[in-house]
Amino acid sequence: MSDHQSTEDNNERRSFLGVLSGLIAAGISAVLGVNIGRFAVSPALSAAGAENWSDLGPVGDIPEGNPVKKNVVVSQDAGWGKFQAQRAVWVIRSGEKVTVFTAVCPHLGCTVNAKDDVFICACHDSKWDVAGTAQGGPTPRGLDALEYKVEGDVLKVRYQDFKQGIAQKEVLS
Amino acid sequence: MADKSKVEQLVGWVDERTGVKALADEAMNEPIRGGARWAYVFGSALLFLFAVQVATGIAMTLYYVPTADHAHASVAYIQKVVPGGALLRGIHHYASSAMVILAVVHLAQTFLYGAYKQKRELVWVIGVVMLLLVLGFGFTGYLLTWDQAAYFGTKVGTSIAGEIPVVGPIQQKIMLGGTELSTVTLSRFFTTHVFLLPLLLALLAGLHVALFRKAGPAGPYHNKDDKKVDRFFPKQVFFDSVAMLVVFVTLVYLAMTMPAELGPVADPSSDYLARPPWYFMPLFQLLKWFPGSWAIIPTAVLPAVVFGALFLLPFLDRKAERNPFKRPIASLVLLLTIGGAVGLIFLAKHQDRNNPEFAEKLKKQDEEAQAFFKTPFEPQLIGATAAMTGASGAGEVAAAPAAYMESCADCHGANGQGEADLGPPVIGLAAKPKRTAEDLLKIMEDARAYDLKKPMPASFPDISEADKKAIVEWMLKLK
Repeated sequence: MSDHQSTEDNNERRSFLGVLSGLIAAGISAVLGVNIGRFAVSPALSAAGAENWSDLGPVGDIPEGNPVKKNVVVSQDAGWGKFQAQRAVWVIRSGEKVTVFTAVCPHLGCTVNAKDDVFICACHDSKWDVAGTAQGGPTPRGLDALEYKVEGDVLKVRYQDFKQGIAQKEVLS
Repeated sequence: MADKSKVEQLVGWVDERTGVKALADEAMNEPIRGGARWAYVFGSALLFLFAVQVATGIAMTLYYVPTADHAHASVAYIQKVVPGGALLRGIHHYASSAMVILAVVHLAQTFLYGAYKQKRELVWVIGVVMLLLVLGFGFTGYLLTWDQAAYFGTKVGTSIAGEIPVVGPIQQKIMLGGTELSTVTLSRFFTTHVFLLPLLLALLAGLHVALFRKAGPAGPYHNKDDKKVDRFFPKQVFFDSVAMLVVFVTLVYLAMTMPAELGPVADPSSDYLARPPWYFMPLFQLLKWFPGSWAIIPTAVLPAVVFGALFLLPFLDRKAERNPFKRPIASLVLLLTIGGAVGLIFLAKHQDRNNPEFAEKLKKQDEEAQAFFKTPFEPQLIGATAAMTGASGAGEVAAAPAAYMESCADCHGANGQGEADLGPPVIGLAAKPKRTAEDLLKIMEDARAYDLKKPMPASFPDISEADKKAIVEWMLKLK
């Protein structure tokens, strides 16, 4: 056993080397951690929704009255790819007046169906009338209408995704 | 301080339930005969490298896709777009080489110090298995980028495996998942690289350290200053930490100054000159000297002899003597083996440089890889044809002109969508900046003038000027 003084020196040396080792470990972990963190997170945060105007064909071809289901092609920028994918929308035409709803249920994102002039989401039994107003079930709001325009005689719709589960219609971006 | 006592209370609470303090004491207070030394850092540095590979490797699987049609695009995305991607991929790339180097150094040191003796046979044998696993990591990881070097390197590698007598053909089929290098091969290399090998290596590393701790460090080979004993903490821990820091800084430096390479996507029809990563170069060089059926000497006999000798070493050499200077034959054999392997690597490089044909081809390949590396990332188009033909009956595009169908469609697809391995899509070509009808006409003749990687093949068919214009007009309509 060494005397009191050298034990203290020894302890000091122990903790000094220990702290240095700890600093090295912390430094390496920080450099790796920060880079893995931004690698994992920043593409997710910087992703912006694309503006997708899709053709729905001539307005006159859409039957009047009950909702008609149409597929639109949207382009999705996702990581390493540009994905062209189909999305469903509901179109209702009465004369000149057109309404386009996304078929994504505002509750939890299932696909909304139509039976005659009533919209139904079979997942959790939400219902809407032909104007998209909620008529029962757990849905927090009416169906989400999409922007549209008529160019020449072609109906074009701007497909967007909306936040689910809240009372307001809010675009996801 | 009140805070400290709170911390102590918490530690005490956890310790009562886990016994973590006793565990930490055991780990940190291991006696090191002869004192802590810089010479003992290699094992810890290897463990550190493995941890780095796990961390960077898991990160990359966030974006990597192990299929033949998307792997390369996903690696290019990691390399060129994702913040931190080039750094993490670079670290992973150089750490794989560092693992081979440090594993050989660790093995050589254990050999020279005679540290495999005195009931440490199993520690040694497990270590040799781990060296094989590290080489397996290198072999399976090399294919994952699916660029030219990866594809052709692995093609040669699996063919070598197929030449081994008796088991070769079956072994090759199992490796490839069939008769050809395909997306199935990529899947099984991926599974091996990210699931099987890491699991095995982690288990063996744990066992390696546990058995090493049980036997205790061998200490200096001369057994003179055995009276001096350090504990693992703090001195050896500090030495190990410094070694890890040196390794890590080196990796970061290399990753930032010489980014991990990524060449153009694999093109099986090209005449790419395959070269293995440096640690397989000795085998590659030997293959040149053993033609035909003699090739089994470097591909099977020699590796079997080297690794067989390594496995049997602690059972054959049972003398207590550990001083490398008093075991001249053993020491000489080791140095000659390592020296020979290094010599073969340099010889292979030297021959490539001095063979005008190879040198030129390799230089060209390197330039193509550099050019691809510098091109900004282009996202891969997925499902473009479905969009063009208009699933909703909208957005239809006129059919391609007859001249296109006759001369171009075989490689670029009937709808301009491109064909894997044959030709890139022409969809989107007109959308790039500075692509007027005139530019598109010129691209047909001289793609390089527009920074496109590859011109069309020399067999480019004769098309009349009028037909060319019709094709360009159609291309301009493609979206």
